[in-house]
Amino acid sequence: MPQGKLCNRQPINTDEQLKLTLSDKSGKQYYAEMQELDVDTNALWATIQKTMKSRIKTWLEICAHCGMCADSCFLYQVNDCVPEQVPSYKIQSTLGHIVKKKGQVDNEFMRKCMKIAWSQCTCCNRCGMYCPHGIDMGVMFSYLRGLLYSQGFVPWELKIGSGMHRVYRAQMDVTTEDWVETCEWMAEETEEEWPGLTIPVDKQDAEIMYTCNAREPKHYPEDLAEAAVLFHVAGTNWTVPSEGWEQTSLSMFAGDWECCKDNVNHVYDAIERLNPARVTGTECGHAHRATVIEGPYWAGRKDGLPPKPYIHYVEWLAEALREGKLKIDPAKRIKEPVTLQDSCNYVRNQGLKDVTREILSYIVEPGYFVEMAPNKEHNYCCGGGGGFNGIGLYREQRNVALRKKMDQILDTGCKLVIAPCHNCWDAIRDLEEEYEIGIRWSFLKPLIIGMLDIPEGMRVEW
Amino acid sequence: MFKKILLATTGSPASFGAARVAFDMAKRYDSEVTIFHVVGVPTKAFSHVVNDVRTGEEVEIDEEYLSWVEEELKTTFAKQFEGADNAKIVLTTGVPAREILREARKADSDLVVMAASSGENASFHKGYPGSTLQKVAKAARCPVLSIHRESASYWGGFSNILFGTDFSKQAESAFKFALSTARELDCDLTIFHALDISGKVLDQNEIEENLIAARKRIRATYVPLMGDFKNYDIEVWEGTPYVEIVKLAREKSVDLICLAHHTNELDPERARIGSTVEQVILRANCPVVSVSKPDKV
Repeated sequence: MPQGKLCNRQPINTDEQLKLTLSDKSGKQYYAEMQELDVDTNALWATIQKTMKSRIKTWLEICAHCGMCADSCFLYQVNDCVPEQVPSYKIQSTLGHIVKKKGQVDNEFMRKCMKIAWSQCTCCNRCGMYCPHGIDMGVMFSYLRGLLYSQGFVPWELKIGSGMHRVYRAQMDVTTEDWVETCEWMAEETEEEWPGLTIPVDKQDAEIMYTCNAREPKHYPEDLAEAAVLFHVAGTNWTVPSEGWEQTSLSMFAGDWECCKDNVNHVYDAIERLNPARVTGTECGHAHRATVIEGPYWAGRKDGLPPKPYIHYVEWLAEALREGKLKIDPAKRIKEPVTLQDSCNYVRNQGLKDVTREILSYIVEPGYFVEMAPNKEHNYCCGGGGGFNGIGLYREQRNVALRKKMDQILDTGCKLVIAPCHNCWDAIRDLEEEYEIGIRWSFLKPLIIGMLDIPEGMRVEW
Repeated sequence: MFKKILLATTGSPASFGAARVAFDMAKRYDSEVTIFHVVGVPTKAFSHVVNDVRTGEEVEIDEEYLSWVEEELKTTFAKQFEGADNAKIVLTTGVPAREILREARKADSDLVVMAASSGENASFHKGYPGSTLQKVAKAARCPVLSIHRESASYWGGFSNILFGTDFSKQAESAFKFALSTARELDCDLTIFHALDISGKVLDQNEIEENLIAARKRIRATYVPLMGDFKNYDIEVWEGTPYVEIVKLAREKSVDLICLAHHTNELDPERARIGSTVEQVILRANCPVVSVSKPDKV
C-alpha cells in the first residue's frame, strides 16, 4: 500500500502537516495507517549497509547470549523476569533479525520492533555496564529506532515531537518571539523582588550562555526565572540566545537522525554567534546527552566536543556553591531524609555522579541524605526515559516501569526526592500520581533559592 | 478604569460569585469581559493529553473538545451573557496561574476577577485553589479581584470601599487604586489600619499610644495624596488584622475591600495561615481586591 497520509516515511516538515497529525486524536488514524504501511525493504537494507558501523556489527556477532544482561534491565525486573525482556533477546530478535534477513522484513515485524524499541527499552544503557563484552543494547536500540523511523514505524507522539523540532526548532510550539517575550516577562516578574535582575538575550562574549527545555517557556517559565535568580545572585555575566535556546532533542528519542543534527547545529550556531566563555543547560538529562555527549558527533565535530565547554547545570551549580558565589544559610538546609535520582543521561553516560552529591553536601544537613540502592552509575532509569514518558500507546507499560523507582524510593524511607532532570522529575511526579506513595519531588533551583544566604540589599522582601 | 476585565474561571459553582461580579461590573462600567478558562493541565510529560481542570480526567484536546467546553461555559453563564455585548471566551491549556498571568499580560487587562478557590477536593486539585490565587495576586501587574462566595452586600456597584494598610510599599499601589476607584465611582472610602496585637503582651497605654501613632501615620501618608477628595474617614483598631478588617467591613456595609498582597510565601499551605489577604478573602462578605503593583492604578 502507498504511504499513509499521516503515517509515512516522510518527516513532518510543515506546520500544516504538524497540525494535521496533531488533530488525529490519540493517533487513531495514524496507527490504523501504520497497519497497512509498506516496508521499503531495499531502502532499509541500503540504510543498514550505509550506516551500520563495525561496532554494532561486532556486538551483534559476539553476543554470547549468556543472559548476564538480564538482571541489569529494570524492565526485565519489573515485568516478572520474562525472557522477552532480556536485553540481548530484545535486540537480537529485532535489529539482529532485520540484519540477518538483509532488511527483508514485513509490516507486522516492523510494528513488533516498534513496540519493543519504544516500550521495552529506555536506552538507559545500564545493560552495557554489566555485559562481559561491553555490548550496549541502549546504543543499539537507538540505532534501531533510527531504522524504524526512516520507515515510518515510530510512535505518533514522537513523530510529532520530531516534527515540532523541524518546524519550530523546539519540542513544543514555542516560536522565537514567544521565547524572547517569555524572557522579558520573567525578568519583569522577578526584578522587583531581585533588583537589578535581567535576562539578557543575545549578549556577546558572556561568561555563560544558558539553554533550556522548551517545556519550560511553554508551561513552567518560572524555571527560567529561577535560573535567572541564581545567575544574578552568583554575579554571573550570562545570556540566553534568541535562536538556538532549545537544548532538547525529541528527535533523538524518535530516531530522526537528520533532525538531531539540525537541532544540535542550531545550538552550536548560537554558541558561535554569541561567543560565550562557556555554556550550561537546564536541569535536563536528555538535552545534555543530545547536545553535549552525542551532539558533537552528529554535527561531525572531529574532537567530539561542542564549540565551547558545555557543562550540565549541576556542574555550574556545584561550582558556584564551591566558590562561594552562592552561599547556603546553614539554618535553612534540608533537615529531613532526602534522596537523589541519578539521571542516566548525564550520570551513567557522562559520569557526573559526584558533583550532584557535592551539591547535596552543601544543602542537606549532615546525616539526612539517603542514597538509593543501587545508586550513581548503577542507579536505574526513572522509568520513563527515552521518550517512554510521552507515548500514549505505551502508557500502561510505562506505569509498570515506574515501579522500580517507586520501590527504590520507598526503600530509602524519604518523602523528598531531588531530581535534577526534567524527565526524571516528570516520571517521579507521574509515579506519585499513579501509586500515591506520598512523596514530594523537586528540581535543585527552587530548593537552593529557598536556602540562599542572600547578601544584604540584594533581595527586596515582600 | 475597568475597561478590560479578565474573568478567570473553572466554570464550577465556586466561581459563580466571581462571574456575577465580573459581568455586573462589565455591564455597569461598560467593560470588555473575557471569560478565561484553562481547560486542562498538561499531564506529566505527555503534552497531547491534559487533566481536565473540572473533572480531573485525562482528556485529549482537539477542536471538538474545545467547542464542547465553550458550549458548556456559554450554558453555564447563559444568564450573564444576556446583554453583555462585550464578552468573549478564551480557552487554553497549561498551569492555571501561569496561563492567567500570561493572558492578563498579553491582553493588558485592567482587572483580573477570580474565585478564591475552585472549590474542589479531588486530590488532583490539591494545591491548586489557593495557590492559583496566591500566584496570580502576587505577580499580576493589574489588581486582582477575588470573590470567595456570593456576596451578601454586593448589589452590583461599589459605593463603600475599605482600604486596609500595613504601610508597606505595595500598600501604596493598593491605596492609589482604592482612591481612584472611590473617586471615579463616587464611593465612600475608609482608610484602615489594624494594629497587630495577636500573640503579643502589651499594656493598654502602649496600645493606645500605638493607635494614635498609626492614625497620625495614616494622616501623614495618605491624606496629602487625596487632594479634593473628601469622602473618607480613618479607622485604627487593634486586634488580629484580618479579623478587624472583616469586622469593620461588616459594620460599614463595605462592598469592596482593597488590600495589598505581598506575602513571599508561595507554598499555599503555609501562606494560607500567614497571609492577611487570604484570610480576608475567605471571610469577607464582599469582593476583595488585591493590588501589589503600581501599573494599573
